[in-house]
Amino acid sequence: MIQHVGNHPFGKKHRPHEVVIETLLFLFALFSILITVGIAFILVRESFLFFADPDVDLLGFLTGKVWQPMIGLFGFLPLLNATLTTSLIAMLLGIPLGLFVAIYLAEYASDRVRGFLKPTLEVLAGIPTIVYGYFALTFMTPLLRSIFGENRVDIYNTASAGLVIGILVLPMIATMAEDAITSVPKDLRLAAYALGGTSIETTFKVVIPAALSGLSATFLLALSRAIGETMVVALAAGAGPNLTANPFKAAETITGYIVRISGGDVSYNSVDYNSIFALGLVLFVITFTLNLVSRKISGLFHQEYD
Amino acid sequence: MKKVVLVTMLFLALASLFAGGKSEQSTPVANSFAWVEEGTIHGLPMVNPLKVTGNIITAGSSTVYPLSERMAERFKEEGYRGVITIDSIGSGAGFERFTVAGETDIANASRPIKAKEIDAAKSIGRTPLEFRVGTDALAVVVSKANTFAKNVTKEELARLFSTATTWKDVNPSWPNEPIQRFIPGTDSGTFDYFAEEIFASNPEPLLSAKNLQLSEDDNILVQGIKGSPYAVGFFGYAYYAENEASLNILSINGVEAVKANVDNNTYPLARPLFLYSDAAVMRSKPQVAAFIDFYLSYVNEEVIKVGYFPASEEAIDKGRKLWLEAMQGTY
Repeated sequence: MIQHVGNHPFGKKHRPHEVVIETLLFLFALFSILITVGIAFILVRESFLFFADPDVDLLGFLTGKVWQPMIGLFGFLPLLNATLTTSLIAMLLGIPLGLFVAIYLAEYASDRVRGFLKPTLEVLAGIPTIVYGYFALTFMTPLLRSIFGENRVDIYNTASAGLVIGILVLPMIATMAEDAITSVPKDLRLAAYALGGTSIETTFKVVIPAALSGLSATFLLALSRAIGETMVVALAAGAGPNLTANPFKAAETITGYIVRISGGDVSYNSVDYNSIFALGLVLFVITFTLNLVSRKISGLFHQEYD
Repeated sequence: MKKVVLVTMLFLALASLFAGGKSEQSTPVANSFAWVEEGTIHGLPMVNPLKVTGNIITAGSSTVYPLSERMAERFKEEGYRGVITIDSIGSGAGFERFTVAGETDIANASRPIKAKEIDAAKSIGRTPLEFRVGTDALAVVVSKANTFAKNVTKEELARLFSTATTWKDVNPSWPNEPIQRFIPGTDSGTFDYFAEEIFASNPEPLLSAKNLQLSEDDNILVQGIKGSPYAVGFFGYAYYAENEASLNILSINGVEAVKANVDNNTYPLARPLFLYSDAAVMRSKPQVAAFIDFYLSYVNEEVIKVGYFPASEEAIDKGRKLWLEAMQGTY
């Protein structure tokens, strides 16, 4: 900071609007924090209503195998299972693809190719998720059914939704992983080349391990994005809770259930209605934890090489 | 200094924009029954949709939805220029909005209003008026690719939608393949009606069934049933009529869902369709009275096109009389 003194034209004293703008910006920042706190507060308060219901107990909620609130069955495992299935499938597709795209962009692509590939990826990121949902339902599902057989693959299934979420998080993974890779100091690469490493050896044995913490943070963020994804699963994954390990069967995810109930099923103050807040809280806790862990990991990364 | 002024002005402009949006909403609507024309149809005054002003908010049954949508379209074709909202959210949720929050003018329903819903309405000062608009033959459907199921008895229907795992469990001559079920969500009048008719009002067997998909959106059910020869589901007849090319309807106890059987009450799953409103709402919002008047006057010309069956003249006349009583002295 340079201190200005006297009647200098740019002296701090003579720019009262700076203070106004600074305060304004601070208020905006404060506002976003208040919103987060408000959301957390509402979620906790409303889910308290749910757990206060005499029919609901926490243990049953966490371990029960059937979710059908209307007839008093509150086991949320089927919903969690479906959410994890779609997210896992999404990661299985999204992580390798995104990582390879990032490696290519950061280490191999010429400027001309980069100039073409990057904007294309960004277009992919700009497509509304409901479009991805219909893509899953009208393209991915028929594709899976034609490969594996109509009788094996349900019309609504978690595999199709998961694959499409994988495509959806691909641009996010690619962009963030590319940042992680390019921020590996150039000295490391040069040292690897000096020791006689080929470019593929340099990339996979030196650069990727060096970028690993940044990459892990990326993957965790992508996972939390996949877990929270709503439109795709609401359209393509199924509309009934179902505890199954088979990705070709229909199964409703946490977000899918919330959408279905709030999209019409709402009877205010009923246990169904309160249950969506409890489920929202579960989602919030999961994604919040993942984001925290991911921040911690990327913090480690900066310590190592700065 | 210029920048300060600019920023302040921008901020003020933004603020006034938001403020402007709010004040616009609160401008009062002129109350008048200017749309009442000389002459009557079935005892109700003629409506001139050109002279109807103001918006109408309706919500409720997804079964009634196509019919209300058709009537709203005709209302607009004949000159109504306001906005009419029709939310397809299920009868129960429709009543909820009409009787608890009181945020809608009309509730669409595929079942009669329940006593506790009337109580809820009373507590916010509303007295629901029932207008019968048509009859639905609830359709139990399978995919066109299903070649074995043509008819079910009511007992088979109960097994089909609850305890049976495979089609063979329902009828020994059917294949040993798992049943995939697609049914309306728990807040839907269709769900309630089916539970009442087949399971003596107990939703439990229906909800405990395996391979169950629930949705308030009947099109999601249609998509699901189309998807497999071993899928089965039920919904309002109109959704079957719209998808006749890809779905087969089952006859119930050997009775087909056709007009003659619905009219003479032999089809076991025929049920009434209703609109509900309130006299005070209709008086303070003449556009609502106009729409219901229009609805009751012309519904029988449209109901078959949408895929439902006309209610008897007496049933509709009951609603017309209610309308006249509610509106006495307003025009």
